[in-house]
Amino acid sequence: MKQIKILFTLIAFSCVFFSCESLKTAIHDQYAYEKTIEIKVEASNLMDKATLPYSSYLKEIGDLGLKIQKIVAYEKDRPNNEITFAMWQLLTDKDKNLLVGFFKRWQAKGQLNEAFVNEAKAQIMEALNLLIQYEVRKDKQSKESLLQLIASA
Amino acid sequence: MEDFDQILKKIKAELVTAFGDKWKDLSSESKKDIDQFLGDSEDKLKRWTFLLANGAIDLEDYEWLLKSQKDVMLMQALYSAGISKLKIGHLKNKAIKTILSVVKTLVL
Repeated sequence: MKQIKILFTLIAFSCVFFSCESLKTAIHDQYAYEKTIEIKVEASNLMDKATLPYSSYLKEIGDLGLKIQKIVAYEKDRPNNEITFAMWQLLTDKDKNLLVGFFKRWQAKGQLNEAFVNEAKAQIMEALNLLIQYEVRKDKQSKESLLQLIASA
Repeated sequence: MEDFDQILKKIKAELVTAFGDKWKDLSSESKKDIDQFLGDSEDKLKRWTFLLANGAIDLEDYEWLLKSQKDVMLMQALYSAGISKLKIGHLKNKAIKTILSVVKTLVL
């Protein structure tokens, strides 16, 4: 009788615990990781040019904007990927003071002063690094899960 | 330029004044958040205040940077939430193994 009670408790616990959708996390995605690094490098190089007129870099800014749009659309459609998508939303919100907010300010001002560019760039790189580190941690988690699976087989 | 520690003290005092009676109503959690924002941002605040005082950046730039710090902290909060979820995922895998092992022992 006691064993049956334990069994039912375990089954009930499992049903609640494993069906909790909000606890699921997307697995590591190499494409998303590489694209994010690519965007970080290109954004960094382009931000260095922000002491010069915005109008001289329209093509480069447009190209980067398109890449950002593509990765955001990609991240949005990945299942259980709410956190990464929310991070991208912050980075690309033109009313926030991160990646797209920087380019909006550059456009509005025409050109920016060097001290501001250095400080703003450090902030945006810190934010992008968090995004990249999160994807790296997913990789570590995926590897651990795989090792566990192999060990239990 | 005044000593930065003095400036930071003044900022804290002004914050308390700005919130007025609401400061008393704020939960200790909210007060802790404000303290944490100032604490975590101290080095940056020091540098930006120095740049402002030297005329390297203007007040508008300073405000932009301050707001960006708030946004970076939001990113950090999301990152921490994500890491917690990953850890829970790891625990779930361990739990599956444990349940299987217990059920195997009891049932088979």
